[in-house]
Amino acid sequence: MTQIMLQGMQIFFLFCAALCVLRFILGPSTPDRLVALNVLSGVTLGFLVVRGVAEGRVLYLDVALVYDIFGFLGFLAIARFLRDKLTGKGDE
Amino acid sequence: MSIREIFALISFIVSAVFGLAGVAGLFRFPGPYARLQAGSLCGTTSVFTAFIGVLILAPSWAIAFRIIIIMILFMVNAPVSSFIVARFTWESGTPMWKPKKKPRRRKAATAAGRKAAAEQATDAGTAEKGEADS
Repeated sequence: MTQIMLQGMQIFFLFCAALCVLRFILGPSTPDRLVALNVLSGVTLGFLVVRGVAEGRVLYLDVALVYDIFGFLGFLAIARFLRDKLTGKGDE
Repeated sequence: MSIREIFALISFIVSAVFGLAGVAGLFRFPGPYARLQAGSLCGTTSVFTAFIGVLILAPSWAIAFRIIIIMILFMVNAPVSSFIVARFTWESGTPMWKPKKKPRRRKAATAAGRKAAAEQATDAGTAEKGEADS
């Protein structure tokens, strides 16, 4: 039963991730793409954690932890870069 | 089926409902602000509820403590990144979404509301009168 539930949650997170990627590709404007990227990062984190518990290995959880931290930093950098590009600041 | 599995199943079902609602909102809502609301709220709630269910099912203490650390980091990260997206959207000058037929709908709504309110008032008045008479 436990394995069935964990498998179902993995499939569900993969489904959500696929829909987020679709939104990321279709998104008509830049904020839409950023929203899709934000949701996608959270969904991927959840998938990694569920996968780690389903396999019973600690390695996936370490990867999820580092993915969370660096994903946040990368997201911050992307948002900052896009904002500077839009407002014309940061050219000096 | 043990108690742990029942609680985990409940939190997984809640997670699936919130996740489906968030993804549906990501596709159905108009405008970036509405999509941001759907994605950030429902996405965060869905992933966090799945974390709680996985924490209940954790096979060892090492996995459980790692999940708790990930939960704390996620609680800090997800709202901050949503705030960053919202500020970026605001500073890039994205207009708010507005319904197209707003004035006509409002007039109709207020007229219908006034009629209904007047009817209710007259009904209440007659009822009160009737009660007073009897």
